[in-house]
Amino acid sequence: MGPESRSARIQLLVAEQAARRGARVAVVDVCTAAVAALPVGGAGLSAMSRAVPSHPLCSTDDISEQLEELQLTLGEGPCVDAFLHGSAVLTPDLLTRDLQDRWMVFAEAALEAGARAVFALPLQMGAISPGVLDLYAHVPVRLDAEELADALAFADLATLVLLDARIDEAGGPRRGRVEDLGAYRAEIDQASGMLTVQLGVGIEEAFVRLRAHSYAQGRRLGDVAADVVARRLRFPPDAEPDRAGEDI
Amino acid sequence: MDQQLLAKTFVELADNLVADFDLIDFLRLLTDRCVGMLDASAAGVLLADRDGKLRVMATSDEQVRLLELFQLQNDEGPCLECFRTGAPVIVHDLTREIDRWPRFVTMAHRSGFGAVQALPMRLRDETVGALNLFRAAPGPFDPAATLVAQALADVATISLLQQRTAQRSTVLNEQLQTALNSRVLIEQAKGKLAERQGTDMEQAFSALRGYARAHNRRLADVARAFVDGSEPLPGLMA
Repeated sequence: MGPESRSARIQLLVAEQAARRGARVAVVDVCTAAVAALPVGGAGLSAMSRAVPSHPLCSTDDISEQLEELQLTLGEGPCVDAFLHGSAVLTPDLLTRDLQDRWMVFAEAALEAGARAVFALPLQMGAISPGVLDLYAHVPVRLDAEELADALAFADLATLVLLDARIDEAGGPRRGRVEDLGAYRAEIDQASGMLTVQLGVGIEEAFVRLRAHSYAQGRRLGDVAADVVARRLRFPPDAEPDRAGEDI
Repeated sequence: MDQQLLAKTFVELADNLVADFDLIDFLRLLTDRCVGMLDASAAGVLLADRDGKLRVMATSDEQVRLLELFQLQNDEGPCLECFRTGAPVIVHDLTREIDRWPRFVTMAHRSGFGAVQALPMRLRDETVGALNLFRAAPGPFDPAATLVAQALADVATISLLQQRTAQRSTVLNEQLQTALNSRVLIEQAKGKLAERQGTDMEQAFSALRGYARAHNRRLADVARAFVDGSEPLPGLMA
C-alpha cells in the first residue's frame, strides 16, 4: 500500500473528480472516482431509510441508474441485503450466483439492463447507516483483496461526504477536505452515543453535530470527542450546530 | 501458571468458537483470561484497519485511560512495532525504553504499568493485529506464559474467520470490516448507555454484555438495537 494511507489516496482520487467539475466534493465524485479506480462499468448510490431504499442519490451511467431504480421499485436486491446485514454483498456473476439469494426478480432485470457483476457496499459507521454504494460490471468480475479494500474505502468516504452534506445544508461552516476519523476512534463513537442523549437526537444527527462543532471550533474531531467523553464538554439540547458545545 | 485454569481456558474458548459465535464477546473473554492466567494486569486485542491504523477490538477493562494507551500506539509503542515487524515485542522494564517510545512509556507509567508484551496476530503472510499485555511490576516474563500468550493471539486470529457474513464470505477484508463495525456499534451503545445511566464506560459495557448473555444475543446486535431504539430492551437499564 505504501506510505500514503489507503483512505488518503482514495480521498485524493475523489477530490480530483470534484476539481474536474469545478465544484466541492459530493457523492457523485465518489462514484466517478470508484469507476475510474476499479474494474467496474458504473456506480450508483442510494440513500436508505429503515432498511428500504428511500431515494437514489446519484449514478454514473444509464445502467447504474436503472439498477438503483430497480432496487427502489422492487424493494429487493443486493443493496437491500447489504443494508440489512450490514455487510458487502458481492456477486461476481449474476448468472452463476448462489440461488439462495433472495432477489431473483432483481437479478433477471439487472441482467437485462446489461449488468453481469454487482457489488453492494453498505455505508456504515456502527448504527449510522445512511445508504449503499452499488457497483456493477458488464462482464463477470471478481474483486481481488486490494480492489475490495479500495471499494470499502470508497464506501467509507461516501458515508462521510453524505453526512457532511448535512452540515452544509444546516448552514454550518465550510471546510476543506473531508477529515478522516483517524486512529483515536473509540472516543468519537462513544461521544456520538453520549450526544444522542444530551441532544435528544438519533446517532446520525449526533455524529453530524459533533463534527460540525469541531469544524466550527477548528479542532480535531478526536480531541472534541475526548472532551465529551471526559465530561469536560456538554452539548445542551437546543443549541445551534456551531455553538453547540458548552465548556464545563 | 495454573495448568488447570489453562486447560479450562482453552476448552472454554473452543466452546465459544463454535456455538453462536459472538466475536466481541469472545475477544473480551480472551483478554479477561490473559489477565487471570498470564501474570498480566491488563490485556487488549488490536486489529489493523484498511489504513493500517490499529483499532481496539477488546480490552480486559473499558476504562478510557487504558483505551487511550492502546490507541496511542498508532504513533509509537510495542504494538505498533509488533504489527510492523510481525514479531513479538517484549519489554521487561518500560522505564528503559523512554527514548524509544517517549509518549507511550510516560503514559504507561502513569497508568501503573512497568512491563509489556505485544504478540503478533498473523494470518498466512500477513500481520492483522496484535495481542497486547501489560503488567504492573517490571521484570522478566515467564517464557511459558509468553508461549501461551502467542497461542491465544493465534486463537484470536482464527476467531476473526469464524464470522459468517450474509454471503458466507471467506474474504478477510470483509470479516475485518464486520469486526471493526461491530466494535463501533458497541462504542456508540456504551456512550449512550453511560450517559443515560450516569455511569462509566466499564459499567455500560457490563450492562450490555449482561443483557446479551441473558437473552442469548450477540453483543453487537444488542448494541445496534439500543442505539437505534428499535426494540424495547427490558432490564438493560436499571
